[in-house]
Amino acid sequence: MASMMTTRAAIAVAIGIGAVIASGGALAHDHDPMPKGKISPATRAAHERHENFEKLGGTFKGLLDELKKDAPDKAVLAAKAATISTLANGLPTWFPRGSGVEARPKSEAKANIWTDAAGFSARASALQVQASKMNQIAMTGDVGAIKAQVRPLGGACKACHEVYRQEKKS
Amino acid sequence: MSDGPAGVRARLWDGPVRLVHWLLVALIGFSWWASDDHLDWHRWSGYAVLGLVVFRIYWGFVGTGAARFDSFVTGPSRLFAYVATLKDRRPSVTPGHNPLGALSVVAILALLIVQVITGLYAVDIDAIESGPLSDGVSFETGRTFAEVHELSFRGLQALVALHVTAVAFYFLWKRTNLVGPMITGRRWLPSDPGFARAPFWRLALGALLAAAAAWFVSTGLRF
Repeated sequence: MASMMTTRAAIAVAIGIGAVIASGGALAHDHDPMPKGKISPATRAAHERHENFEKLGGTFKGLLDELKKDAPDKAVLAAKAATISTLANGLPTWFPRGSGVEARPKSEAKANIWTDAAGFSARASALQVQASKMNQIAMTGDVGAIKAQVRPLGGACKACHEVYRQEKKS
Repeated sequence: MSDGPAGVRARLWDGPVRLVHWLLVALIGFSWWASDDHLDWHRWSGYAVLGLVVFRIYWGFVGTGAARFDSFVTGPSRLFAYVATLKDRRPSVTPGHNPLGALSVVAILALLIVQVITGLYAVDIDAIESGPLSDGVSFETGRTFAEVHELSFRGLQALVALHVTAVAFYFLWKRTNLVGPMITGRRWLPSDPGFARAPFWRLALGALLAAAAAWFVSTGLRF
């Protein structure tokens, strides 16, 4: 009897583990690749923008991951910071008029990016300032100062996302 | 609080089960609130939930009577037999989780495991907030973990709502107060089920195990 009960208990735990694996299966990221064939410049811009933001987020994450290490590689930090600054400088060009949801349904770009162009542009500039600051600090290799610049830089991302990004499930 | 004049006020839920239950109530609510703007607290809350889940699974094997999985996890035949009695307007006197409630317990535990694991790898859109193990995955994968984390929380909310509805149903329809026993640990039952007690060292070992797991994960699996 006891062994039967233990079997049931094992089933309970197996269900829990199964649920975890199932959720892991859902992790095959739906990338929404660039459509094949002839596409409009706006659709192309929307897809390229998505890829650029993936790159920007990924690079910033790479910088943060490096900072988590016991002895961060200063060359890696400087390279990541330089890429972030370059991407941030290009960011205002990623939003040609007409490249919102009308060009790519999964786009998270809100219409106010274009209707409130001045506000959007101000936040993009604020990001460039923080990214450029990070780049300069990273060139000095001062890990403590780089860490201190993480929040202002991430805050600049957030400040824009809060107003101009509509989150969507992929 | 009495379900009727006959019977005994038996020991049902041990202290650890009650503590885990109410701490989960508090921490799930707190985590939800803190997910907006207080990710530091959200992470700490998550580590605490991880510890509680580890402890509860451990306790499900070595705890006192009604805490154990083998006292309530059951097969479909007993489940259907129990469901057939649901409409009867008389107190439910299962000593511990009834077969239907057992499903709820397993589902909630499973979703909490999903919540904790996806949270460990999640990365937010600004990359700046992330789980302690997220440095092992790419930005995109971390984003997907964050999405599953949100999605499974909706599932958890649904299960919590179902749980509260069921408790209300038992109170209003069956005139069975299930909340009182989860506070006092004792319940009127027709007869004392005579559940086994657990020695203190088992509780101490489980608490140590849970705390160690939570701490180890919070450091990103680094010593």
